[in-house]
Amino acid sequence: MALIPEYRDDVPRVERFNWLARFSHWGHTVTFLLCLFTGLVLFLDGVNWLAAIFGGYRGAGLVHRVSAVGMTLVIGIGMVFGFKGIIEWIKDLLRFGMNDIIFVMKFPLEFLGFPVKIPPQTRFNGGEKGNSMVTPTCVFLLVLSGYIMWFPAIFPVGLVRVSYWTHDIAMIGATCMVCMHAYLGSFHPGSGESFWGMWKGTVRADWAQHHHAVWYEETYGDKKAE
Amino acid sequence: MANLANLYDVSKCTACRGCQVACKNWNQLPAVIEPFKGNYQTHEDTNGDTFTIIKFFESEDPVDGLKWDFIKRNCMHCLDPECMKVCPKQAYTKTSWGATLHDPDKCIGCQYCAAACPFEIPKYRKREDVITKCTMCADRVEAGMQPACAATCPAGALTFGDRDELIQVAEARAKFLRANGFPRATIYGKLELGGLNNLYVLTDTPDKFGLPVNPKASGNVTFWQDWVQPYFGWLIPLMLTASATSFVTSRLIASKNGEHGEHGEGGHE
Repeated sequence: MALIPEYRDDVPRVERFNWLARFSHWGHTVTFLLCLFTGLVLFLDGVNWLAAIFGGYRGAGLVHRVSAVGMTLVIGIGMVFGFKGIIEWIKDLLRFGMNDIIFVMKFPLEFLGFPVKIPPQTRFNGGEKGNSMVTPTCVFLLVLSGYIMWFPAIFPVGLVRVSYWTHDIAMIGATCMVCMHAYLGSFHPGSGESFWGMWKGTVRADWAQHHHAVWYEETYGDKKAE
Repeated sequence: MANLANLYDVSKCTACRGCQVACKNWNQLPAVIEPFKGNYQTHEDTNGDTFTIIKFFESEDPVDGLKWDFIKRNCMHCLDPECMKVCPKQAYTKTSWGATLHDPDKCIGCQYCAAACPFEIPKYRKREDVITKCTMCADRVEAGMQPACAATCPAGALTFGDRDELIQVAEARAKFLRANGFPRATIYGKLELGGLNNLYVLTDTPDKFGLPVNPKASGNVTFWQDWVQPYFGWLIPLMLTASATSFVTSRLIASKNGEHGEHGEGGHE
């Protein structure tokens, strides 16, 4: 069984993510992973080999800060140029309904590979909606607490102390979501075309119709708003 | 070896700041020039190049009239130091006789200790990207001398010696002061935060000298160190294991059900 399905351009495809969404996504991927591994150097207490990869603890600290600024820029660019897209994203998240609840309840079986019947989903299914709410919240907390810890002298010491555990918990939350997200967006057999949606921007029309029926019909199908 | 402590008697101090100069001299610390802030205090607080400082407190009391208090502040050398608990590089050590030492060679400048310390003593030295603080002159003490501040104090306000003996001296002194015009005189450092190796005889309550009345390890720091760091992180390997399990089971189930590999068809349902 192949790890991910073959990319086929000989079948009808529809756009799932525009270039800005993809830039933002992969920008976050690179900066988040750099921040994660340089940050784990301190979180895990004394993993010298990990620090050595980045040129020691100070090197890791530098990479952490540079990546953090990079992530802030990616967020900024996404917010400024992709404001409309973010609003649409949030609107879709607010459509959390019975179909999403059923999705989330049935998902553990689907996750392990059992065949299950799932109701039609909007642009983002119940699990993706959860990820879309938890991960950005964690990233927001990470950025906020990170800058407070970077410049402790200009913030009250109580706030710095709160930032320490906030940064850790937000890191754990985001990393757990990323572990699942990375797997579900690539090697999970049930996810199919998802990877190409974020890599090339388009997915097979039949896949979109099958996995995100509500979205497909509203965007490309019969219910398309003129 | 018994705990050695530094006892500072507020009632004997003349705020000459000889201790500050001796400290700078022994530790080879450069001068830090700060703008005039309207009182005699040399610096706003201890800093990366100033391990000890005399703080000045001016107040007007309706009964006692104008009051001018001073107090020497530096590392308290806690018996159970918070800085040591949070340091991710184990840069802090306790000597057998009680000093809390910080090794700048191990320090990576994360400044966790600076925020964790209930007395906000460890300070960041930007030019070297390390934390610094009072060493209780461990090098001098281990060579049989007194800390530079205690050795230089001309008023006899600083006494260095066995902690248990100094507590008795301090208690006797506080008793004397209470009977001679300082009814609120007290000692500080005997029980605070489980005991400090920097002891005080105060002529008034600790809050009058800017000392925390009941210093405590911050709940935020305890939660972070005792709960988040050791336990919460295990969620991550749990998630990785779940993904790895799914990777295997979903493929096993798919091959058992005889499904073909065309997920693009959306054949999982």
